[in-house]
Amino acid sequence: MKISGSYVLPIAPERAYQILQDPAILAQAMPGCESLEKIGPDEYGMKMKVLLAALSGQFEGRVRITDQSPPSSFRLIVEGSGRIGFLKGEGLLRLSPAATIRVLSAAPSEAPSTVVSYEGDAQVGGTMAAVGQRLIDGTAKMMIKKFFDKLASLASLPASP
Amino acid sequence: MATTTVKTETFVGKRIRRREDPRLITGTATYVEDVQMPGMHYAVILRSPHAAARIRSIDTKQAVAAPGVVCVFTGKDIKGVGAVPCGIAMPDLRVPPHTILATDRVYFVGHPIAVVVARDRYLARDAADLIEVDYQVLPAVADPEKALAKVVKQRIVSQRLVPMAMETRGVVAEWHGADRQLNLYTSTQIPHLVRTLVAGMLGLEENRMRVIAPEVGGGFGSKLNVYAEEALTGYVSMKIQKPVKWIESRRENFTCTIHGRGHVDFYEIAAKRDGTILGIKLKLIQDVGAYHQLLTPLIPQLSVLMMPGLYNTQNIRADIVGVFTNCVPTDAYRGAGRPEATHGIERMVDMLAAELQMDPAEIRLKNFVTKDKFPYPTATGLVYDSGDYATPLKKALDLVGYHKLRQEQADARKQSKYMGIGISTYGEICAIGPSPATPAGGWESATVKIEPSGKVTIMTGACPHGQGEETTFAQIAADELGVGLDDILVLRGDTAVVQYGIGTFGSRATAVGGSALYYALQDLKAKIKKFGAMLLESEDVTLTGGKVICNKTGNSKSLQEIAGATYRALKLPPNTEPGLMATRFWEPPNFTFPFGAHIVVTDIDGETGQIKIRRYVAVDDCGNILNPLIVDGQVHGGVAQGLGQALWEQAVYDDNGQLITGELMDYAVPRSHMMPWIESHHTCTPSPVNPLGVKGVGEAGTIGCSPAVVNSVVDALSPLGVRHIDMPLTPEKIWKLLATKN
Repeated sequence: MKISGSYVLPIAPERAYQILQDPAILAQAMPGCESLEKIGPDEYGMKMKVLLAALSGQFEGRVRITDQSPPSSFRLIVEGSGRIGFLKGEGLLRLSPAATIRVLSAAPSEAPSTVVSYEGDAQVGGTMAAVGQRLIDGTAKMMIKKFFDKLASLASLPASP
Repeated sequence: MATTTVKTETFVGKRIRRREDPRLITGTATYVEDVQMPGMHYAVILRSPHAAARIRSIDTKQAVAAPGVVCVFTGKDIKGVGAVPCGIAMPDLRVPPHTILATDRVYFVGHPIAVVVARDRYLARDAADLIEVDYQVLPAVADPEKALAKVVKQRIVSQRLVPMAMETRGVVAEWHGADRQLNLYTSTQIPHLVRTLVAGMLGLEENRMRVIAPEVGGGFGSKLNVYAEEALTGYVSMKIQKPVKWIESRRENFTCTIHGRGHVDFYEIAAKRDGTILGIKLKLIQDVGAYHQLLTPLIPQLSVLMMPGLYNTQNIRADIVGVFTNCVPTDAYRGAGRPEATHGIERMVDMLAAELQMDPAEIRLKNFVTKDKFPYPTATGLVYDSGDYATPLKKALDLVGYHKLRQEQADARKQSKYMGIGISTYGEICAIGPSPATPAGGWESATVKIEPSGKVTIMTGACPHGQGEETTFAQIAADELGVGLDDILVLRGDTAVVQYGIGTFGSRATAVGGSALYYALQDLKAKIKKFGAMLLESEDVTLTGGKVICNKTGNSKSLQEIAGATYRALKLPPNTEPGLMATRFWEPPNFTFPFGAHIVVTDIDGETGQIKIRRYVAVDDCGNILNPLIVDGQVHGGVAQGLGQALWEQAVYDDNGQLITGELMDYAVPRSHMMPWIESHHTCTPSPVNPLGVKGVGEAGTIGCSPAVVNSVVDALSPLGVRHIDMPLTPEKIWKLLATKN
């Protein structure tokens, strides 16, 4: 399954790059994420609950970040498995400054913002693939949107010291 | 004492309602899942989510410690159990060792890895999730063509299908250690072969094992097999000394019960300018799946045997390439090899007709093997028993109003409407089959016992499971003995009750098993007459209407009186034993070759691509018809499954070997509201190879259907230059085609 899209975060690329790799923020932003812990350099252990129509189950997996080129791009490699199947994915995230934006609320037009575009490939197997095939695309899109929405709202909060 | 009904009424050839239906429609039939035993344990199987992987390790500690769990077995724990058998021996056939549980490698999604046994099936299911398997995922091959080079003439696909019996598989194993006896209830079409082969796998003496196929809720070939779970459940019961039940879930059924079809065929057909077919060439790529199941390598061979179809050509060439893929194995599914061949041949004949601008009916009539040529030896080594191929086609053309329809079509085309008329004239290989041509013996057995009260008990080695032989066999016996249907009981499906048998598949139960019954009845009739003559003190007697009558005096003895006398044995005719029982094992001298013509009229909605079947006319010739109601039922069921393939069904694996049509929301089995009205008619060309003159009809509908539907749709779209469309003809596919061509 090919995944691609873009999202505008109301923060500068440097800040966006930073929070996209901040386990504490990511754990809050990822839908269903139960824990995300650093287990090595650029490597995180993750537990999350996935809901796919009538299927639900806990996933355990690892997230790795490679090809870092701050503040403009990095590669994300995700692997997880659980009782309803497994997923494997890899994607390149590109960050670029958006000159002006008109987003959401009454954000001032000169506020810094970043276009995050992503492009990747995901493989799903097991019961999820057999039973949820028609729903995977939609669910993935929904989860990505939820993730960025949450990230955007977290990013608008003052940076932690 | 109950009396035996004496009747002069006959039953064969009449629309007798099925005697098995009351228990089925009142929900009182006993399936494997209904078998309950004290101390029953439940087995749940952990299966691979990967199509190809190396197993680095399996950790069962948590599962073993889970509540209610009695034990967990992995492949390494299983000792001394033989491989899942492939019944086909061929030179150079590569048969990978097929253990009942995976050990270090998995080869398809659904590959069994471990079995969890608990007192409660839900606890077992939960515990299975606690098993940790460390996989090293390997690249998978799901597309058989990827491994091969290409030659294109016409590529015709017969897609993978899921047989989809309403009852999934299931096994109950009950080990009596003190008696060294294993009772195995399994949903199978072949209980005796399962006993012979599973006893062998478990290292158990064959006579220490009893296999019972209780009510079997559909098989269609998917239960004509020996599965790992049959041996595994038996093994677990023997280990824990308790009865164990395993019931396949619908999701498991999708991934680990055999699939059917799975062909990519490349056809070439050569003909003279006048339409005379000169020869047919085929390269057949069979998607084998991960293993050879019981008959996997046989199925494409049946396609090749069927290649001449109904046509008079002696030039046939076929090459079969079997390709292992990381998918569940393919094997017999209703028609098994013959629908694939018929689909290819009938598509090619239509393409040839289009190329030569001939009418598709005319080109068929021109090439049929004519009535005077039978028995007809084919280039593929068969001898067609009897046939009259033009008659059903002409009858179908008349019934559908062919010439009028062609005019209507011409008018419809002027208004840019898509209307199609599709013909398929099929032949099939049935009554499988003479023993030299089958892997495990092709005969069938029957025992008939007339009880002291005169009631008749039949034990058949065929294992009917929906085909209605409890009714048709009773009809045969009732007419032969002159008794009523209610005097007769037909027993099947239990190796402790039935002598031995081959089973029900390949449209064989009535043609082969019914013939064995017929001959056993002849033996009994001779004995009844002997006893009757003795009791009537006359040599000149006739057996009729359930009585032996003295032709001189008119005195008679009823079957009941005679039966009583044979058991009481106060006096015996010379050289005659007491009792009234006969057994026959009957070997058929040849296959039978039913045939027929199906015509399908379709209207296609140009906006949506939706195909509407306006008419479905089936004229099937299955020889003599014992029960028209049952024959029509078989045709209807067969056509439903044929339509399923033609229009909706497809088992799809993605490039990684994940089955992405793994449930009934994504796998489109036809529902009743999707079925057209089937106009079922017959012609009758009796088979000379069995005493009943029957040919078999279980697979006819499936075999005749799919090419008629596709020919009809291609005919409808031919003004757009459409020459071929691969199944299933989903509205999406047709809509896209219309969008590109218009």
